[in-house]
Amino acid sequence: ILVDACSKSFLERSPQGALQGSDLQNKDGIEALLVGSYAALDGQSSGTTALNGGNPWEAAPSNWIYGSVAAGDAHKGSDATDQPPVSQIAVGNFDPSNGFFNTKWQVLFEGVSRVNTLLSLLPDATGMTDAEKTGVKAQALFLRGHYYFELKKMYDKVPWIDETNMEDYKQPNNVDIWPKIEADFQFAYDNLPETQSSVGRANKWAAACYLAKTYVFEAKWTAAKPLFDLITTKGQTSNGLPYGLTDRFEDNFDPAAKNNKESVFAIQMTANDGTGSIANANQGEMLNFPYNSPFGCCGFYQPTQDLVNSYRTDATGLPYLDDYNDHAVKNDMKILSTEPFTPDAGNLDPRLDWTVGRRGIPYLDWGNHPGRSWVRDQDYAGPYAPKKNVYWQYNQDKYKDPNSWAPGSALNIVLIRYSDVLLQAAETEANLGNFGTAETYVNQVRTRAGKPATAVYKYTNDATPMGGFSTTPAANYVVAPYPAGTFATGGKDYALKAIYFERKLELAMEGQRYFDLVRWGIAATELTKFFAYESKITTDITGGKFVSGRNEHYPVPQRQIDLSVSGSSKTLEQNQGY
Amino acid sequence: KVTDKATGNPLPGVTVAVKGSNRGGATDPNGHYALQAKKGDVLVFSFVGYNSQEVPVGDGPTVDAVLAEKIGSLDEVVVTGYAVQRKKDLTGAVSVVNVEQITRQPTAQVSNQLQGQVSGIMVLGSGQPGEEPQVRIRGVNTFGNNTPLYVIDGVPTQNIVDINPNDVESMQVLKDAGSASIYGARAANGVIIITTKKGKAGKVRVTYDAYYGRQVPKGGNVWHLLNSQEQANLKWMALKNTDPNVVYNDGLYGSGATPVLPDYIAPGGLKEGDPGTDPSLYKVDPYYKNPSDLDGFYRITRANKQGTDWFHEIFKPAPTTSHNISVSGASDQGSYFLSFYYANQQGTLKNTYLKRYSIRSNSSFNIAEHVRIGENLEYSVIDNPQIDALTEGSGIGMAFREQPIIPVYDIKGNYGGSFSTNSAQLGNARNPVAIQDRIRNNKGIGNRLLGNVYVEADVLKVFTLRTSFGGEVFSASTHTFTFPEYENAENNKVNSFTEGASSGYNYTWTNTLTYHQKFGRHNVTALIGSEAYDNHGRSLTGTTQSYFIFDPNFTNLSTGTGTVTNGSGTYSDGLFSLFGRVDYSYHDRYLLGAVIRRDGSSKFGDNFRYGWFPAVSAGWRISQENFLKDVSWLSDLKIRGGYGIMGNQLNVESANAFTQYGLNKGSSFYDLNGTSNTLVSGFTKTHIGNPNAKWESNVNSNIGIDASFLKGKLEMSVDYYSKKVKDLLYKPEISATAGRTDPPTVNIAQMENHGIDLSLTATGLHLTKDLTMKANATLTTFKNKIVAISYDAPYFDQESRRFNGSFIIRNAVGQPVSSFYGYKVIGFWNSTDEINAANDEAEKATGVTGAEYQSQAALGRFRYADSNGDGHITEADRTFLGNPNPDFSYGLNLELDYKNFDFTIFMYGVQGNEIWNQVRWWTDFYANFAGAKSKTALYDSWRPDHHNATAPIQENGNSFSTNNVPNSYLVENGSYLRAKNIGLGYTLPTSALKRIGIDRFRIYVQAANLFTITKYKGIDPEISGGTTNFGLDEGAYPNQRQYLVGVNVGF
Repeated sequence: ILVDACSKSFLERSPQGALQGSDLQNKDGIEALLVGSYAALDGQSSGTTALNGGNPWEAAPSNWIYGSVAAGDAHKGSDATDQPPVSQIAVGNFDPSNGFFNTKWQVLFEGVSRVNTLLSLLPDATGMTDAEKTGVKAQALFLRGHYYFELKKMYDKVPWIDETNMEDYKQPNNVDIWPKIEADFQFAYDNLPETQSSVGRANKWAAACYLAKTYVFEAKWTAAKPLFDLITTKGQTSNGLPYGLTDRFEDNFDPAAKNNKESVFAIQMTANDGTGSIANANQGEMLNFPYNSPFGCCGFYQPTQDLVNSYRTDATGLPYLDDYNDHAVKNDMKILSTEPFTPDAGNLDPRLDWTVGRRGIPYLDWGNHPGRSWVRDQDYAGPYAPKKNVYWQYNQDKYKDPNSWAPGSALNIVLIRYSDVLLQAAETEANLGNFGTAETYVNQVRTRAGKPATAVYKYTNDATPMGGFSTTPAANYVVAPYPAGTFATGGKDYALKAIYFERKLELAMEGQRYFDLVRWGIAATELTKFFAYESKITTDITGGKFVSGRNEHYPVPQRQIDLSVSGSSKTLEQNQGY
Repeated sequence: KVTDKATGNPLPGVTVAVKGSNRGGATDPNGHYALQAKKGDVLVFSFVGYNSQEVPVGDGPTVDAVLAEKIGSLDEVVVTGYAVQRKKDLTGAVSVVNVEQITRQPTAQVSNQLQGQVSGIMVLGSGQPGEEPQVRIRGVNTFGNNTPLYVIDGVPTQNIVDINPNDVESMQVLKDAGSASIYGARAANGVIIITTKKGKAGKVRVTYDAYYGRQVPKGGNVWHLLNSQEQANLKWMALKNTDPNVVYNDGLYGSGATPVLPDYIAPGGLKEGDPGTDPSLYKVDPYYKNPSDLDGFYRITRANKQGTDWFHEIFKPAPTTSHNISVSGASDQGSYFLSFYYANQQGTLKNTYLKRYSIRSNSSFNIAEHVRIGENLEYSVIDNPQIDALTEGSGIGMAFREQPIIPVYDIKGNYGGSFSTNSAQLGNARNPVAIQDRIRNNKGIGNRLLGNVYVEADVLKVFTLRTSFGGEVFSASTHTFTFPEYENAENNKVNSFTEGASSGYNYTWTNTLTYHQKFGRHNVTALIGSEAYDNHGRSLTGTTQSYFIFDPNFTNLSTGTGTVTNGSGTYSDGLFSLFGRVDYSYHDRYLLGAVIRRDGSSKFGDNFRYGWFPAVSAGWRISQENFLKDVSWLSDLKIRGGYGIMGNQLNVESANAFTQYGLNKGSSFYDLNGTSNTLVSGFTKTHIGNPNAKWESNVNSNIGIDASFLKGKLEMSVDYYSKKVKDLLYKPEISATAGRTDPPTVNIAQMENHGIDLSLTATGLHLTKDLTMKANATLTTFKNKIVAISYDAPYFDQESRRFNGSFIIRNAVGQPVSSFYGYKVIGFWNSTDEINAANDEAEKATGVTGAEYQSQAALGRFRYADSNGDGHITEADRTFLGNPNPDFSYGLNLELDYKNFDFTIFMYGVQGNEIWNQVRWWTDFYANFAGAKSKTALYDSWRPDHHNATAPIQENGNSFSTNNVPNSYLVENGSYLRAKNIGLGYTLPTSALKRIGIDRFRIYVQAANLFTITKYKGIDPEISGGTTNFGLDEGAYPNQRQYLVGVNVGF
């Protein structure tokens, strides 16, 4: 007995370095759990891993693989066998055992789970008023709405887990979750304040935009319209800036200009934040910099010729909506950097040169892009480099994070920016037959593209790119709004085509296009054209195709289906066609 | 006087003791001894290699003894769990290690020495100095930690990395429940009992054992790589295969029909005399501080047109040496043993080495007639920085990837590398020499004090009371400096210094009471005991960035100017146990053993804190029965069997029972205020608790036969066992809908193992009068099968490496652990007709118009087997491609003695396993990163005129049908037979040495790993890895050939 009594206390040991749930049921603890719920937005863990332990880029919140590479915005890039899972996605071969789909799924559900954990501890928290609890809950539901929105657009068939069924986490995915997503955003919209103490927090208008975007994805145009009407007149950012477009297109991709009036909701990134890693420094984009360049790594995400050609404008400054590939932009394929090359002299939309790095054009303040010597394998993935995710040289000590084998940066991932909202509003109006309003929205976007601040200029001296820019445009930029009445004259099909094309130009390389193509129902035609054209230029997408009836959604990860066994049956079912 | 029975010569050094007392002495060189004894006392004469003899003291002043050389080992006394037993009385499966035999292996690790020497143990090592090999007793028992429990002089520990092999007196391996269950909760992986040396009665003995050797890396083109021109030719071939109308315009090789090697690779493609190669332009600061300085560098590097042999640039012959001195003795007051050991094995891989120092002091004191006090202590220091081999990115892994045209150094003696300008496409491998040079100031030093003090008292003649307090105190420190790189395509630009330290202690307090009595034909030994184990530790790590200079005398955590990060951890766990055992024999014929143990562990919640681990075993020495008494060639025959339960609690974290919350700057902090550099702290759930976890139980049955023939000249032991591991503690992946919080460890998985252990020993075989032979052979087989993994998925995957996200290894129900998984290659697509025919079949089978048999099928690519017969290739056609667990492993020791010469040979082999040769993924496919490629890729890949090829068509692209998915191309036969050790020794005649006071002087020469017979194409077929993911070769640190000379001297 003595021995046993002694051994009982001897064998009782407390966990080391850990908290219990009850420690957190107070105002500070709840606030910390809320911050933890925001922290899952970037999908990244400590070290060079995603939240599930996979590679950072598999969970990139920008969706550069799932939204842009898959849609023909860009090639995978790099060497042939560098990241073959991306190659498979690029050619439309969506294999349910492709680990990337599993990573994205796991990381998004980690976000859901953090919110649910918070919500389960919130009701009994002490030292908080009901209003404070509602404020926290509204932010939490905004975040949960976002995580589920991502899941829904990626995988379509998604199980719903919330704070009421957390313990019973094997739920079926045979019920449409759009209504639940709407409910989360609606609660957020109803309960969030217009401005917040911290710019990173979601506010009422961000919730309005996300709710409207949900309606757009559901093609609920009449539900969306009143929201857009409010947003475009009263909307403001968390830090109280009325929504608007920045004069300089590049401000949306410059860490020094982050959280501006166009930034509706952004994932806040840091650099040199004391972690000694790039975990909070836009780690998902770490591969997407030119190779053998000052950036070091890794030569991925090379824009396609098809995308570049889309920026060709006609004499009136309008795009070639159908036959842009017949007006191809000159490239430097097969030409060594030591051999001479003169860039294309035709009319171009200046957004091209903030979106794509191409030979002979200033690559921010890093010098004129040298062409092939910054490309890992031109035959394989073409001559271009990504640009929207690249930081500037002059302030790189502040915004670049060198704490990994590839760079991180404090460039935010803007989940919703105001030009995206305007184009959704345009789409809504066009679908409702209000072509004039639709055209006005589109023209706001095009007008900004034509502002002098949005042109790229030649350096004053090519040898010292940080020495500043001249007033000579780097290319022949010609861009103009649609003449009044064009949409009304063209009718609904024309208006929608113009809006769709404007989204391509404005939001290229921002992880959006694949989901747009699918919801517009034109993925098969657009991608078939794309593969036919682009595969003549590079070797990487040979055999690429869009399989109708299957590729509209990514597969539910095979591993997750296998893990969903309850009793003897699997609770998760696969999407059609897999 | 003591003499030898066979020759009549006097025997020096024989221990003579008065039975039941502590008085004793030893014979002098003439076989004489002197001792105080009275009539009726019994003198015990014992000597290594001879049968001991008891002679009662009569009336006379002298007692002579004639000792006979021992043949056979039946009377050997062996240490088992908390007890000693005669070998012939054993009822459990216990292997007794021949210590003399194993210490011939020239390695500082005891565990390495065990390979092939004992049946039932698998040891998988590498050539890296100090790398602790995987030791598995009777196969894989769990998905987690499979390390056996080591009990050193009664002190349990999981680690014997620092035990001085020269100190080992005896070693026993307890393999079944009958023998091991006495260690209850920690017995499931098997138990190895090590007893260290004690002083022996007689004069002071001094021994000195030393060797010096040279290790020689494998010669030749170990990975069969191309030279620089061939590498260029392969590129031309691959580009043409990809696009028949290719227009060559290459940054390095020009635009002609045949590639021409440039004079310079940086700036890419320049010829001698080009103004771009003017040395005055050169600018590289190898010790740059600011990352952006790198942008201004101007590198000038000549092409190495012959090709750099990267393997031999980093692997060089290296020395190894070992010295051991011991001093020992005993008198009736006690005994002492003191040793000092120094070993220094330089690695053949640059800047790897093992330096070891250890001192041991074992002593015992007879403080009263029936009371003994003693201690065993070893203090050791190990200086052993190691590299991570077998993974992408190590110096070895880069040595088969860095292109041969890259020289080790550029024109100014700084490193050459893959950094490319002018589209030179030198790949992304890193300079292996630079990698190895840059670890030169890194250290990893560990030290440990291990041992115990004990008191033993004999009470009432039949009882022995023993209490032992032992344990270990250890600490380790590491520091590494990360240099900035400048020569590679992808460079680390931040310099940093990292220092780590850990320390801990654990103690084991054991109390036992032993009862031993003989009643006529009944012989009973019983024991009860209690044991407490308490384990604590802490660790600390810090990193500081940005140093002003990189001098190791300057760099420490406080002298950097940049970001500082730090961290620490603690652990604490304990066990409390009660146990008992009974061994009973009747008439030396019928043997019975029973053990039971009750363990309590702090790692489990209240509900299942305690576990019971019983076992019974029995033996029948049939040879003692009358009907076999007359069979003269049969000396002994015993059948034995046992059944019992062993436990395991290694594979569960201390706080598994609790749901926990925590924080992490990388994953739970967030820049809520949009500052770009300042995080707000946040928390998340970090672990889901499971208060219901309980013990793993390993249900074990064993049946064995021990036989001894020809008066013990031939001995055989064979065991069949089967193990069912139930309630395996495992952390199954759970559905992502539960979040990515660390899931709890649960008792869910199951595994089965069965196999045969066989050993055969022949001793004292006189081939001629002077030529004697000893031999022993061991055979180990085990078959492992996973029975259950989780309630959910019946498999878990590991090791995706560079594939498309599907994995190389699948641990699945019904399969052995670490099975290889993927598509089975059944040939090449040799014609478009073949492809069309297959597609037509696929259309018919699937009913889908336009269906393809196989995605991205094309000429010269792999054709995969339609494993499920559904007419087309889908992920469901992946199948099990191989098993890294051998069917059996075997060892053969042969020893020949001729006069003063001795010759030994030890062969070791494994049979029936496969290896996944991931090296060939890098070298046999042109497109798999622009790196060094193999002769196979250039000369034996598929071409329209070469269908009977090894590798598929070389292309500049990736496809499902070649290099994107794990397939059987990379699976190879891993069987091998290796001459582990061949030695020749000469012992100087004693007569000559006596005059200078030397008892024994032996010199020897030895060759280790002299040859290996294998079909494996990689560098070394001995490939280890993790517990559930082994057998993958991505650049092994190979075992080396070693040549040694050594001496054994005794004073």
